[in-house]
Amino acid sequence: MTRWGVVQVAITVKGGKITRSEVVQVPWDNPRDQQINAYAVPILNQEVVSAQSAQIDMVSGATVTSEGYIQSLQSAIDQAHLS
Amino acid sequence: MSSTPHPAPVRRGTPTVGRRAFVDVVMGMPISLHVKSVDVQRPDIAAAADNVFATLRKIDDLFSMWRADSELRLLQVGDIAAGDCHPWQGEILELALEAEEVTDGLFTAWHGGRCSRGGHAAYDPTGIVKGWAVEKAAEMMRVVPGIAFCLSAGGDLVCGTGQDMVGRAPAWLIGIENPAVPGSYAGSVEVVLGAVATSGSAARGAHVVDPRTGDVVDRPGSATVVGPDLVWADVWATAAYVDPVEAGRLMRIRAPEYHLAVL
Repeated sequence: MTRWGVVQVAITVKGGKITRSEVVQVPWDNPRDQQINAYAVPILNQEVVSAQSAQIDMVSGATVTSEGYIQSLQSAIDQAHLS
Repeated sequence: MSSTPHPAPVRRGTPTVGRRAFVDVVMGMPISLHVKSVDVQRPDIAAAADNVFATLRKIDDLFSMWRADSELRLLQVGDIAAGDCHPWQGEILELALEAEEVTDGLFTAWHGGRCSRGGHAAYDPTGIVKGWAVEKAAEMMRVVPGIAFCLSAGGDLVCGTGQDMVGRAPAWLIGIENPAVPGSYAGSVEVVLGAVATSGSAARGAHVVDPRTGDVVDRPGSATVVGPDLVWADVWATAAYVDPVEAGRLMRIRAPEYHLAVL
């Protein structure tokens, strides 16, 4: 598998999984950027990768259609929080 | 509107944060809206969620490429004059032009080659409309006090908060699906404010076209972009799925506030 993804974050991928990441540079140009970067710097390390998926709040992936939704990771999370 | 936070039952100094999901299908996609708040049963939260889905439906009425009665389709067949269209049509068109320019054509809304060939290339701004619609709909939640929210349209999502929650809102741990093993995660990213978009072929077969060649991009894997706005996260994720190296190079120069991970 490949190993990369460098822009602001250098990421190591092995066997399709992110195994290491390193923040290369964080822009602090304007207040909104600061606010976002204070929180949105990716946390992509071995510890998180090996964590149980129960800790995942939401899912980003290639577009899920309404037909594929029922089997999706997001659907399982949704079911736990519908009221 | 009161600026004080919603009254919270204080337990060991930390209010218990509840969670509630709202799910529907709009634009042919599953839409999942999740809210964290001390009291997730508040009627103003449910009312704002209704507004989120209503906004998405309104945008679908205007821009759907799959419905012959959408304003855009009527415009394309000449049943509506451009001057009679909703002003959002112009806004989307400008974003589509800007997206093509900033990605050096790795992203385009004009399939069949707007620039290189004569004739009529098909204008399909779906790749812009989706992210834009989610951002527009998310505005309905940003005015709700005492909440954090995450709004996902088929795996592209926006996280945000009510205005009074800036700086103290709970984060969302976003799992990035492993394209090599669907149903598992390749990693995760923690977001309070911002957008996460992923482009790939895993979920619905190959559908991304390389605008430079017209060929379908059929490599395995996916590209995920994290940044301030879902329109541009989505545009760059698509561009990076088409050409990870070139998109990464362009992003460093032109969109340094967006983070790219290629799987």
